[in-house]
Amino acid sequence: MTLRLPRDSAAVRPKSWQLLPMRFHRFDANNILLTNLVGEHVFLLEEQFLAILDGNCGDQKLLANLRAKHLIQLPAEQLPTELLAIKLRTRLSRLPNSTGLHIFVVTLRCEHTCRYCQVSRQSSAKSEYDMSEDTAIRALQLAFRSPSRTLKLEFQGGEPLLNFPLVQWIVARAKQINESHGKRLAFVIATNLALLDDEILDFCAREDIYLSTSIDGPEDLHNSNRRRPGQDSWQRTADGIRSVQNRLGRDRISALMTTTEASLCRPHDIIDTYADLGLRDVFLRPISPYGFAVRQRGGAGYDVQRWLEFYQAGLDHIIDLNRRGVPMVETYAAIIAKKMFTNDDPGYVDLTSPAGIGLGALVYNYDGDIYASDEGRMLAEMGDHTFRLGNVQSSSYADIMLSEQLLQPLEQSLTLSAPMCSTCAFEPYCGADPVFHHATMSDFVGQKTMSAFCQRNMGVFTAILRRAREDSFVRELFWRWGQR
Amino acid sequence: MPADRARAIITFDTETIQLDALQRAVYAVADLMTVDITESGKKYVCTLFPRISTTDSDVLAHRLRSEVIDQTLRLRIAAETEPLRNLIFAIAFSQTGLNDAETPQP
Repeated sequence: MTLRLPRDSAAVRPKSWQLLPMRFHRFDANNILLTNLVGEHVFLLEEQFLAILDGNCGDQKLLANLRAKHLIQLPAEQLPTELLAIKLRTRLSRLPNSTGLHIFVVTLRCEHTCRYCQVSRQSSAKSEYDMSEDTAIRALQLAFRSPSRTLKLEFQGGEPLLNFPLVQWIVARAKQINESHGKRLAFVIATNLALLDDEILDFCAREDIYLSTSIDGPEDLHNSNRRRPGQDSWQRTADGIRSVQNRLGRDRISALMTTTEASLCRPHDIIDTYADLGLRDVFLRPISPYGFAVRQRGGAGYDVQRWLEFYQAGLDHIIDLNRRGVPMVETYAAIIAKKMFTNDDPGYVDLTSPAGIGLGALVYNYDGDIYASDEGRMLAEMGDHTFRLGNVQSSSYADIMLSEQLLQPLEQSLTLSAPMCSTCAFEPYCGADPVFHHATMSDFVGQKTMSAFCQRNMGVFTAILRRAREDSFVRELFWRWGQR
Repeated sequence: MPADRARAIITFDTETIQLDALQRAVYAVADLMTVDITESGKKYVCTLFPRISTTDSDVLAHRLRSEVIDQTLRLRIAAETEPLRNLIFAIAFSQTGLNDAETPQP
């Protein structure tokens, strides 16, 4: 025999609940988005929201939903508070394990002259812009001081394959050093693949190395952005992607694109190019708004609104591909989906608070200078050394991690205390980007109402939530992306 | 900005609106206008200076008023939830294993 409690026995009486920490955002003309400390969310009508605040809501279904999402609790309850604390701690669990990503700029030399790149050097003497073994070993020693149990060493340039012997040397030394540390090591070469050959493929296969490349879209668009002698950048990269997929496996190569003004009207072409190349992730990235990119021909001549239109058209095309059975992921949406629909945090350096600079990544430049992020290195190429933390020859690990150049921007830009961020409903999904705001507003925090970072991310959060809310297929798709 | 570009003056009752909420609201509309706040008797007097001189002053006034209401609600929520917020953070960052004193004694 089943005993059933009368429905009213579990009813929450008016004025009997406590509000848990929450933030709200007027999502559209009718709906208010309510988020808790860790990003769990509901949509409410304004009258429902005010009734919750005033304690006179009688809608038991709504009250049950708000209790389930840890937005309200009953006075005698302790579990919601404890669960919220556990979820909060889970989201911040990466913090004690900094720094996981160490970027080695093994050379500034490059055979490409990409219109938006400010760091590469053409026809330069090898010794002038290549990292030395002495610099590399000192950088490795610093990297192994990081508490993180996982170290990802990424080789960048310029074109790192122009200094392939040093890449081989660093991989061998890192593995040797790790014999006494026992960390999980991963290696990535960020390369345009133009110089890929069998020797390099053999090495990557043997040493379990991942490759990351750049494809800006279809051949004409890519070659217009990424110039090299012979105008064959796209073909070389496409051939390289296929070689890696065939030799090492589909999951060992990923690609990034950079959105220039010429990309804005071609989101479908760009995504279809990725699909044709057998790539299952596309990262619809805006161009960094500083350095050579903001020159007249640098490709950054568009505003946030135009990029958001491009992004949403691209996202809708990717959703449509998935509807038709073609698996494709938009990487930025997947990062955000993890923050929106799970209790985990992917640790993406642009969307974390404290900011990802230094804590998420350290960059060792060819000359031994250490930067808090790759964008910090780019700023230095333009003469702004704000994010230079030291040099491998003279700085200890403590010098770097306790430097004012790192701590000041980290402390000032914390979203839990920054004006407008601290009360923003999107705060659990967003992050601090002191490099961007320093570069565009000469301030680590930035005035958020005029911040392109803020406008762009609020636009993306809104686009994702709206689509997930209106379409159960999309909701399920984003949820799966978040579980990756 | 010259005073003759002031497009509107609106007032708020000092007994119903906190200065903190008003200042937060002014910050949140800074892309549209700058605002001069003075206190006169039991009123906060806000003089609105549009960033674009052609912006309708009624639109600016409505925007500021609704932002003040939202910021007032935010302050109210923050005050009401502050003890629980502190408790959640205290629980989240306790027993981290970083402090030797936390280690259970055999």
